Amino acid sequence: MAAVTPSRQIGRSIPRLEARGKVTGRTEYVHHLRLPGMLHGKIFRSTIPHGRIKRIDVSAARALEGVHSVVTIEDIRTVIPHPYYGPAFHDQPILADGKVRFAGEPVAVVLAADRRVAEEAVGLITAEYEELPAVHDEVEAATSPVVVHDELKPAATFPDLQHLKGRRGTNVALDYQLLRGDPDAAFASAAHVFEHTFRTQQVMHTPLEPFVAVADVDGGRLTLHTASQNPSFVRIEISRLLGWPENRVRVKVPFLGGGFGGKLYIKLEALVTALSLLARRPVKISLTMDEQFFMVTRHPCTFRIKSAVSAEGRITARECEIWWNGGAYADIGPRVTQKAGFTAAGPYDIENVSIRSYAVYTNRPPAGALRGFGAPQTAWAYECHTDMIAAALGIDQVEFRRRNLLHNGRPQASGTVLRDAALGLVLDHLAARMNWSRPLDRGSGRIRRGRGLAIGFKGITAPTTSVAVVNLYADGSCALYVGTVDMGQGSDTVMAQIAGEVLNIDAEAIRVIHSDTDVTPYDMGTLGSRSTFHMGTAVRLAAEDAKRKIAELARELGLPPGTNVPLDELFRRKYGMQAGNIIGTGSFIPAYEKPDPATGQSANVTPFWGVAGTGAEVEVDTETGEFKVTRLVNVADVGTALNPKLVQAQLSGGAIMQFGFTTSENMTFRDGQLTTNSLADYKIPTLLDIPRDFINEIVESRQESGPFGGKGAGESTTIALSPAVGNAVADAVGVRLTDLPVDAEAVFRALTAAGIAQAQS
Amino acid sequence: MSTARTIRFTLNGSPVSADVMPHETLVDVLQQRFDLRGARESCGQGLCGCCTVIVDSQAVSGCLYLAWFLDGRTVATIESLETAKGLDPVQEAFIEAGAFQCGFCTSGFILMVKQLLDAIPDPSDEDIRHYLAGNLCRCSAYPEILDAVRIAAKRRADAVHS
Amino acid sequence: MSSFEIVEPRTVEEAFGFLAGDDPAIRPIAGGTALMLMMKAQVFRPVRLVSLRALDNGFTGIAPGHDGAMIRIGAMTTFSELERSAEIRRSFPVVTQAMKRLANVRVRNVATVGGNLAHADPHLDLPPIWIALGAQVLILGPGGERAVPVEEIFAGYYETTLGHDDLIAELRVPVRPAWRSTYVKVTTRSAHDWPALGLAVSMALKGRQATDLRIVLSAATDRPTRLIAAEAALRGGEIDRSSLRRAGDAAAEQANIESDDRGSADYKKHLLRVYLARALDSLAGE
Repeated sequence: MAAVTPSRQIGRSIPRLEARGKVTGRTEYVHHLRLPGMLHGKIFRSTIPHGRIKRIDVSAARALEGVHSVVTIEDIRTVIPHPYYGPAFHDQPILADGKVRFAGEPVAVVLAADRRVAEEAVGLITAEYEELPAVHDEVEAATSPVVVHDELKPAATFPDLQHLKGRRGTNVALDYQLLRGDPDAAFASAAHVFEHTFRTQQVMHTPLEPFVAVADVDGGRLTLHTASQNPSFVRIEISRLLGWPENRVRVKVPFLGGGFGGKLYIKLEALVTALSLLARRPVKISLTMDEQFFMVTRHPCTFRIKSAVSAEGRITARECEIWWNGGAYADIGPRVTQKAGFTAAGPYDIENVSIRSYAVYTNRPPAGALRGFGAPQTAWAYECHTDMIAAALGIDQVEFRRRNLLHNGRPQASGTVLRDAALGLVLDHLAARMNWSRPLDRGSGRIRRGRGLAIGFKGITAPTTSVAVVNLYADGSCALYVGTVDMGQGSDTVMAQIAGEVLNIDAEAIRVIHSDTDVTPYDMGTLGSRSTFHMGTAVRLAAEDAKRKIAELARELGLPPGTNVPLDELFRRKYGMQAGNIIGTGSFIPAYEKPDPATGQSANVTPFWGVAGTGAEVEVDTETGEFKVTRLVNVADVGTALNPKLVQAQLSGGAIMQFGFTTSENMTFRDGQLTTNSLADYKIPTLLDIPRDFINEIVESRQESGPFGGKGAGESTTIALSPAVGNAVADAVGVRLTDLPVDAEAVFRALTAAGIAQAQS
Repeated sequence: MSTARTIRFTLNGSPVSADVMPHETLVDVLQQRFDLRGARESCGQGLCGCCTVIVDSQAVSGCLYLAWFLDGRTVATIESLETAKGLDPVQEAFIEAGAFQCGFCTSGFILMVKQLLDAIPDPSDEDIRHYLAGNLCRCSAYPEILDAVRIAAKRRADAVHS
Repeated sequence: MSSFEIVEPRTVEEAFGFLAGDDPAIRPIAGGTALMLMMKAQVFRPVRLVSLRALDNGFTGIAPGHDGAMIRIGAMTTFSELERSAEIRRSFPVVTQAMKRLANVRVRNVATVGGNLAHADPHLDLPPIWIALGAQVLILGPGGERAVPVEEIFAGYYETTLGHDDLIAELRVPVRPAWRSTYVKVTTRSAHDWPALGLAVSMALKGRQATDLRIVLSAATDRPTRLIAAEAALRGGEIDRSSLRRAGDAAAEQANIESDDRGSADYKKHLLRVYLARALDSLAGE
C-alpha cells in the first residue's frame, strides 16, 4: 500500500522523481540505444542553398568496405511512394527530391554497421547541381521571383491553410490577418503616430542531446525509439506516410536531453523509418551538434509596427506587419505566424488593431517551434516600440505601460476577453523589484548605466487534446500513463503530484510510465506551455475517475460511503486474493472558437495566457560598446505554482536561454552557407555569462480553469527579456538597437552613428 | 596498417581490458564496451563537458581522448560515485539544489564539481563560475548548480570536521 | 575519422624514424586535443600518429636554466602543470593569470605547451604571451637541434616553419625582473569564447618611460604578430596620451585584420587601439 499522508501534494517542491538516475548517469536516452543488427546512417548534405540536382555519384561510397548501402530519394520511393511530410504543409521530402532548397539539406544517406565507416563513405559521395538563384531575406522573399516551392501543398490537418492549396509562384505559406475596430480612422485623427521596424536573427535550440531516432521494422510492425516531444504526432504522421493503421506503428520515448520545441513533429523519424524498411534492419541516426543547425531553428523575423497615440498618452491604434523567415520547409511555421500573430500588438488595451503576419519560405535551414513560439520575436518589437513612444512623449516607461495595459475582463485584439492574466500585478511587481521609483547610479566617464523593462504575453496553441490513464494495482500502488515527454521541465513529477493530490498518495510513490504509444494514450505534444494545463487536467480527471471507481467498488462490497478500508483490502475482498486493477481515464480538450479568417476575431482563442515581465540593468563601455547585464529580474504569472522549485527552474532556464538569443547567439550566413554551426562559433550562455544579480519571481495568481489553479510556465520568461535589455541599453547610452542580437559591435556602431563613441585616448 | 591493440586499465576500481582501434575515443569505448552511459558526446569539441571522465585523477574530455592512450591508467566515471554507502555528497547536493533539468550534462558537471572541490574546498562564486565555464547546461540550471556547489562544499567541510 | 596507426617511440631517434619522409598525414601527437578536433572535422586524416607520451626523456619539467636567466619549460608540460607551477607564477605571472580563461579545465589537463605551438591556430592565447616574453623554442630534428624565437615558427594560418620531422623539445623563457607583462583576451560574444583579439604586452619601464617593449597581437591576424611599428612609436618615450595615440595608429596600420563572426575588421581595429592603450596605461601605472 502506498504511503498515505495528510499533506497536500500541490505546492510541494519535491525533487524530480528521476533525480537519482540523472545524478548517477543511468538515465535512459535514445542517444545510448543500441539494438542487435543495428545500422548507423550518416547524412550527405547539400553544399548549395538552392539548385536542381543533376547527378549524385554514390559509387565510391557504395564500394567502401563495410558500407551496407547508400540511399537516395529514388530508393525511398520504393518503400514510401509519396515521401513528403510536415505538420502544416506536406512540403518536406525525406531526402532531397530533384532539388535542394538550403545548404545543409539531406541528399543521401550511407548505412553501415560502423558509424565511422558510414562517415567516411559520406566523404566519397559527390553531387552536381544546376545552381538556382536563392533568396534568404524574409521581406524580399515575400515578393521575390525566386520561388522556393513550385506549388503550395497544405496538409489536411489545418483547415485555415486550405485556401493556399495549389497556389504557385509565391513564397508566402500563410497570410494571417486580424482586424479590430477602424485603425485607418484612428491613425487619421491621432495626436501622434510612431512607426518602427525591428528584426530578429536566426537561432537554434541546441539541445545537448542532439536529434536522434532509431527505427526497427519487424514483422510488419514498426517501432520507433525517438527523442521526440510528440510521440502521438509521430505515430499518426508515419502511419500516413506508410499507409498503415496507427496500431502497426509504435513510438517509444524515454527521457530527452533537452527539446525546447526543436524535437517536435517529424524530424529524423521519417528518414529512419524508410531506411529500416529498405535495410530490413534497425537503423539509427544521431546527428552531431554541427548537423543540428540544419534540422530546425527559430524564425528570424521582420516586424513593422505603427502606433497612433492620443494626446493623453493612450494608444488608440496599432498596425503590425510581420514577416517570418521559415526557411526551406514550413514545419510548424504557419502556426507560429498565426499564434504569435494574434498577440503581436502586445498586452495593451487598443481599440483599433490591424495585424498581417506572413509565413515566408526562403533558402535557409527550416524554422519551427522554439520556446516562446514567436512571442519573443514580436515582444522584441512591441516592447522596444513602447519605450520609444514613452521616451518621445516624455512619459515614464512604467507609467506609459500602466496607462495602456490590458486588464482582465477587457477584450484582447482577437476579441477574446482576457481572464486570469495578471499583467497588472506582473508590471507592478517588476517595477518594485527594479526599484523603479528610485534613481539609478548612471555611471560616469566611459562607463554608463541604464535600466529597462518590458512585459509580454502569449496565447496557447488551441484546441489540443490530452488523454491520461491512472492505473491502481492490487496492492493500491499507482501508475500514471501519460504521453507528456519529460525533457527536463519536470512533467513526470508534476503529473504525479496532480494524481497524488486527488488520490491522496505521495507523488514520490507514483510511477510515471513514459511515452510508448502502444501503452500510453494520445497527447497532442509536449509544447507551447500546454502540458501542465492540458495533461494536468487530463490526469486530474483520470485520477478522479479512479477515485469514483474505488468508491463504486466499496459500495459494491457493501461498505458505507467514505469508508477507510484501504484499496488493497477492497481488491482482496472483491477477488479473494491480491488481484485486479482500477483504471481511471481522463480526456481533456479546452473550449475554443475558431477565429474568423478575415478578422481573426474569436470569443475564445486561447485556453489561457502566458504572462511575464523582465527588467534589466546594464553597464555599457561607451568606448567599445561592450556591455554587461548586471541585474536581471524576471516576474511571471504561472497561476498556482504546483511545484515552486520546478517553476523557478523553468523561469530561470527560459530567461537564460533567451539571454543567449539576445546577446550572443546568432546563426550567420555567407553566400547562403551557415558559418556558425558548432558550439565553438555559436555561443550559448555559460556560467560566466549570466548576470551576477539574477532573480525570478512569480506573482500571486490562479488559473481558474487549470488543474489546482496551475498553468504553463516554461516559455514565460523568454517573452520580454530581449526588449528589457534593448531598453536598458537605450536608457544607458541613448542609442536604440532595432535588430537582435544586441552585441558589443552593434552597440558600438550605434554609438558611433550617434556621435557618442568616444575618441581615442 | 590500422590494427587493434589490447589496452589494460583500471575502470572504476576494477582492472579491465579492451581491444581498441587507434581512432576510438574514450567515450566510445566506455559506452560500447562497458555499457557506461554517464559520459556522453554532445558538442564533440570538448566545450560542453558532457563527456567528462576522470583519468589519473584529472578531468578530461572523453570525446577528444583516444582510448589507445588509456593503457596503464586509472579511469573513473560518474558511475563510480554511487557506492553501497549511497550517493556522493556532490550528487546529493545536486538533487537537493535541483541543479539539473534534462540531465544530459549532469554527469559532467558533477565530476567537475568534485574536481573543483578537491582543488579549492571553499570556492568563491567567481572560482565556481570560472572552473565550470567549460561545462554547458542548455536547460540553464546554472543558478541551481551554483547552489549545489555551495551545499556540497559545506557538506564536505562538515564531513571533514566531524 | 579514418583508420590510422599510433606509434609510441621511446627515444627521439625512434621518433625521427617514424616521422621520416614527407607524408603530411604523419604527425607527432602530444596532448592531442587540437589534433582530435581536426581529425573529427576531417581536415586532418592521419596515416600515422607518432605519440610523444612514451619518450624516455619526456620533454617535461619546468626548471630554471643554469644561470637562472631563463626558465626551461618542457614541451610536454600540460597547461595545468603550467597553471600550478610556483616557478611560473613567480617569474611569469602573466602566464598564470591567462590560464583562468584559457580553454577549460579538461583541455588544460591534457593540452601541452609544445603541441599548442605546433598547432599554430592564431586564436591561441599562449603563443602571443611567449612572444611578448621573448621566449625561444628548442627544436630537435634529425640533423640536430636549434633554438629559434617563438615568433619565427609561425608561417600563417595553421602553418608553421617547422620541418616535417622536427620536434619541439622545450621553451626557453628569459627571466627579466624589470619587465612587466599583461595579456588581454577580448571576447565579443560569450565570455567563454575564442578571442576576437588577443593582445600581449611586455614592457621595461623607468617611471612612465618605456625603455623597451614587445607588443604582440593574435586572433585578429593570421598568426601572432609583433606590432613593431607600435613598439617603435613607444620605445624610449613616455607612455602618455599622445604616444598611446601614435602607437594605436601604428598598430591599426600594421595589423592585417580581417572580418569574421567575432567582429568586423573595422571594429577589431578599434578594439585594438582601445585595448592597446588600456594595456600600456595599466602597465605604466602599476
